[in-house]
Amino acid sequence: MSKLLIIDDEEGIRKVLSVSLASDGYDVSVAAGGEEGIEIFKKESPSIILTDIKMPGMDGVEALKQIKKLNPDAEVIMITGHGDMDSAIEALKLDASDFLNKPIKDEALSVALKRAEERITMKKKLEAYTYDLENMVRMATEEVKRRSDFQHKLITSSNDAVIAADEKGDIIIYNRGAERIFGYPRVEIIRKMNIDKLYPPAIVAEFRSGLKRRGDADLSKWKEVAIVAKDGGVVPARFSGSILYGVDEVIGSVGFFQDLREIKRLQEELIKSERLAATGQTVAGLAHYIKNILNGLKGGTYVLNVALGKNDRGKIRSGWTMIERNVGRISDLVLNLLAYSKERKPEPEDCFPNEIVEEVCALMESKARENNIKIERDLDPLIGEVFIDPKAIHRSLLNLVSNAIDACIFDPTPDKHWRVKISTAVEENHLIRFEVTDNGIGMDKETKGRIFSAPFSTKGERGTGLGLLVTEKIIREIEGEINVESEPGKGTTFIICLPYQEALKNVKGLQDFD
Amino acid sequence: MSKKVLNVEDDVDITTFVSTVVEENGYIPIVAKDGEEGMRKVREERPDLIILDILMPRESGIKMYHELKMDPSLKDIPVVMLSAVSKRTFLRSQTALTEFGDETVPEPQAYLEKPVEPGDLAEIVKKILG
Repeated sequence: MSKLLIIDDEEGIRKVLSVSLASDGYDVSVAAGGEEGIEIFKKESPSIILTDIKMPGMDGVEALKQIKKLNPDAEVIMITGHGDMDSAIEALKLDASDFLNKPIKDEALSVALKRAEERITMKKKLEAYTYDLENMVRMATEEVKRRSDFQHKLITSSNDAVIAADEKGDIIIYNRGAERIFGYPRVEIIRKMNIDKLYPPAIVAEFRSGLKRRGDADLSKWKEVAIVAKDGGVVPARFSGSILYGVDEVIGSVGFFQDLREIKRLQEELIKSERLAATGQTVAGLAHYIKNILNGLKGGTYVLNVALGKNDRGKIRSGWTMIERNVGRISDLVLNLLAYSKERKPEPEDCFPNEIVEEVCALMESKARENNIKIERDLDPLIGEVFIDPKAIHRSLLNLVSNAIDACIFDPTPDKHWRVKISTAVEENHLIRFEVTDNGIGMDKETKGRIFSAPFSTKGERGTGLGLLVTEKIIREIEGEINVESEPGKGTTFIICLPYQEALKNVKGLQDFD
Repeated sequence: MSKKVLNVEDDVDITTFVSTVVEENGYIPIVAKDGEEGMRKVREERPDLIILDILMPRESGIKMYHELKMDPSLKDIPVVMLSAVSKRTFLRSQTALTEFGDETVPEPQAYLEKPVEPGDLAEIVKKILG
């Protein structure tokens, strides 16, 4: 039962009502006028107020106004008398809850009170319900936000590219991983680019067919793709994707791309480091090279023995060739080592440099042909007979051409027309310029820096690491210069400039010298 | 019908040697000089055993091994590695390659480090081919 306040200037009514209502169980307060009523209201906070309209001082309508200001939910029942119509209407506008006409009948009073109680209960329930509801919504919102934050962090921090598009293919999610792989900044992509333009064409085709009809595309298996980034570079990547479906319709798509550059780089590093460890970096490398030769000899003798046992001429030849070849490798190695370690005095004589070039080409022709490499020459006809060291030229060019051929063999690029070109040209100051160019694997800056300074080979088991060192030494000893230009994947050019003199036989006065 | 053994190796001395051992033990030798030719010959000839080198130009043994094991029609052909690269290093390279893939690649049937004695090679081949 609620607290109740009766405001009426007539003592009689106050007494009758308060006694009656107290016996009904209400906690009743009385006030003789508006002002007193407001005071008691502030103190007791009754939930139901019965107030007369016509009172001296503050009237019921004014009291209603004040009460509502203090507690808009208070149930105020106006006691109306004859002629109070206008006030009654005003009270209605001010949100009075009910009206009782004088003289107050018991039944009318109890109905009005009951209704007031019901309204109070309803309001309380609604409040509680709303509070609960608001609470639940708040918690749900927090949960959603937490999950969304988590997902957002997942996507942003993922190293892989995460790209999501709507049903038209317009991109709506594009994370930092994607920026790194594709090269386009977010601002250029989100809602501005379609997957048609960004994704590799093969993937676009699959997505498009999947977007049209459910189950048409199986994009979920990881596939290697080549992505063309913003700067035109090609990025090897692995791709997996999915079409997103709502109840019946396509709502979008998502694609994941993994950057394979790192893996490929690691793979290459691994092979490179094994090669380096296995070969020509040190004396151990040289010993390894010699061991290989010995194995070749052992293998050759094994084959030869088997063949002799069966009198198989073809096999005898094979076995013997193996032995011969390896004996040749030993002699090459020894010559290189000697050349590397001994000081060599230049031995110039009258000779034809262009002919030397042709000799070298002839020696390398079969190896080149076996590997589909074309040897080209571009020889300056102005170079005739000159006084220069032919052995030095021969050894240097042989080494460079052999390397050039190897550079093509080791080039993994498919469908290339491999070429090795040797050119000669006369230059000012009595110099002949020899160039050996290939379009093979090329060298990076680091390799270029090391090739002339230490035993170093990129050729696995076949490289001694000595070739270029010896070449550089030979050139230096005849006061020439050697330089290199190279671009990884495109090719390499070695340039040798050698000083020469007029052929002795052409110099007058020297013919009778010896 | 004799069993076929494919040797993928760029060093001619080794292929001659391996072919002789293979023939001496009653099998048919096939050769390929790099991974590219190797994969072609595998599909053409369907060998019963592959002897694979690692350091080769134009598609190394690492890549070819991975390709073989990822192809459902080829992955069951037994592979023997014959290389100067140590077994540990080779296995590490395979792990690196499959880090993002769905399946790990099985280890090769056998791993021989060069140089190999004719007897040892013959023993492994006979054990695998029966």
